[in-house]
Amino acid sequence: MPTEEKPLQFADVNNDIVRSLVVTGRNYYITLGIAMFVALACFFFPWFYQLYYGIGAAGMNHPTVWGTYLASFIFWIGLSHSGTLLSCVLHITNSEWRKAMYRSAEAMTLFSLLVAATMVMVHVGRPWFIHWAAPYPNQMGLWPNFKSPLLFDVMAITTYLTGSLIFIYMGSIPDFAAVRDRTSGWRRHLYVLLSLGWRGTDTEWHRLGWAYTFLAVLIIPLAVSVHSIVSWDFAMSLVPGLHQTIFAPYFVVGAIYSGTAGIVTVMFVLRKYMNFEHLITQLHFDNLGKLLLFLSLLWTYINMLELFTGWYSGTSAEYEQIKYKLTGFYAPLYWEMILFCAVAPLLMFSTKFRTSFVPMLVLSIAINIGMYTERFLIIATTLSRQYLPDAWGVYVPSLVEISILVGSLAVFVTLFLIFVKIFPSVSIYEVKETMPQPRKREANLES
Amino acid sequence: MSSNALGLFGDPVSALAAAGTLKDAGFARPELMSPIPIHGVEEVLGPKKSVIRRFTLFGAIFGGLGGFALAAGTAVLYVHPTGGRPVITFPPFLIITYEMTILFGILATVLGFLISARFPAIRERVYAPETAVDKFAVTVTCDNEDTFSRAAAILRAAGAEEVRNIREGE
Repeated sequence: MPTEEKPLQFADVNNDIVRSLVVTGRNYYITLGIAMFVALACFFFPWFYQLYYGIGAAGMNHPTVWGTYLASFIFWIGLSHSGTLLSCVLHITNSEWRKAMYRSAEAMTLFSLLVAATMVMVHVGRPWFIHWAAPYPNQMGLWPNFKSPLLFDVMAITTYLTGSLIFIYMGSIPDFAAVRDRTSGWRRHLYVLLSLGWRGTDTEWHRLGWAYTFLAVLIIPLAVSVHSIVSWDFAMSLVPGLHQTIFAPYFVVGAIYSGTAGIVTVMFVLRKYMNFEHLITQLHFDNLGKLLLFLSLLWTYINMLELFTGWYSGTSAEYEQIKYKLTGFYAPLYWEMILFCAVAPLLMFSTKFRTSFVPMLVLSIAINIGMYTERFLIIATTLSRQYLPDAWGVYVPSLVEISILVGSLAVFVTLFLIFVKIFPSVSIYEVKETMPQPRKREANLES
Repeated sequence: MSSNALGLFGDPVSALAAAGTLKDAGFARPELMSPIPIHGVEEVLGPKKSVIRRFTLFGAIFGGLGGFALAAGTAVLYVHPTGGRPVITFPPFLIITYEMTILFGILATVLGFLISARFPAIRERVYAPETAVDKFAVTVTCDNEDTFSRAAAILRAAGAEEVRNIREGE
């Protein structure tokens, strides 16, 4: 923790967090306004346009019937793996450095999942029939096919969204109580409701500790299953380049990798613009950097393995797939991905790099650009080169698709900006736990 | 009419010691309030049992059975023959079972937490807002003025910075 002139006190943490909620500068409103405008103009308007004129407004066509919508879906699901999963793992391993950053990371999970679910709505073309995926009695005799990975997806994502929402809420109850006592008006009413009447008694802490740990233990395997299931949406097809057993771990590692990079970006922004310099320190960036480096090496290994298994299969379709990926129409994107996700992260072998805020921010953004590219390539390269050469074709996203991709980022930013003004974005009580505990005062000792 | 003696402390060690002394003096269930979880409470005030684990276990079992029943039941009611393969197929249905096990495990854990920690609070309870910042409080219920005086004396002797008399409903 900070060691400036005056050591941080318990009350300072409350003051900092309450200030971050109630004191709002002009820059915040300008950023929120821009984010909302971009979300409306680039996400909701093109989506409405597509609903009105039909799914043909998107560039998807035979043979590439999936496009950036599904790439964005995988990307946002992947980004969601940062928060809750990482937070759970660090919670049960008692990692002290988690405490200043996990709340925002969990919020990232929640909003990424919401954006991912919206991308599915955009992709399906007729979202008003989305309830057909739910098992409910109906006169059509229509029931979902539980043998399909798409249904696994519905179940897994619903469970993960529910679990993440509950996990972030449970961990925030003591903090809602802390800010409840310091706010007024509609905020006070809101926090009175959200805090459930929390008083911080020994029994309440005991119950919260148990419930929180149980949730963490339940959510870890859940998070792993979610991205494995997303990978089966692709791997259970018979398309060369997609039909691979490596896909589940490949997707899980990629998800945690892009998610951790996402945390670095969010931590930088919070540190800089919410004035959390003394709460989010070089230590956090150093540790996140080590984790990112490890994940980048693992991701690189799996990518090499993917190429190797394709080559080792000895089938002409797989050979063609690899050749197309490395040298075909999308090859510049492939090599950009390798540069951003496999080569550039090697800089993090240097401690100086890991503890430098701006370079880490730039690298984290580069990694996520690379990871989006990876998701795009998984779909675009494979569907463009299937078994029959007369069915080969190239897919280029339409303006509507590109706009919705940019807009989805704005939707995420809008949700996050609203979050930081309602939820305490750093856990008050867990930061206090990492600080020196108050000691008996001299006066008491004398008496 | 019963009241509550609430002693405010500046540090967790004194608060914990005060709670222990009150318990030894015969006060039923002294309660600690703190901005962070205090370690060593169970050594002083006795072990705490939680029913949450049972909720989690039964929720998970219910979810698992329900998930499999949903998938298998659907397959039986809406038979979809595929190349002579069995109608109830374990590998895909186990995934639904797995997800529903976790979903209901999570929901039951929350229910267990709410019930065992008595949330949400319907009535006003004894509380000191300072304990959400940097103070530690010990409270006990007192039947009459004499009991309150005795509790207040113990709290002051243990180093309480302030002792409050909080009546029910205040």
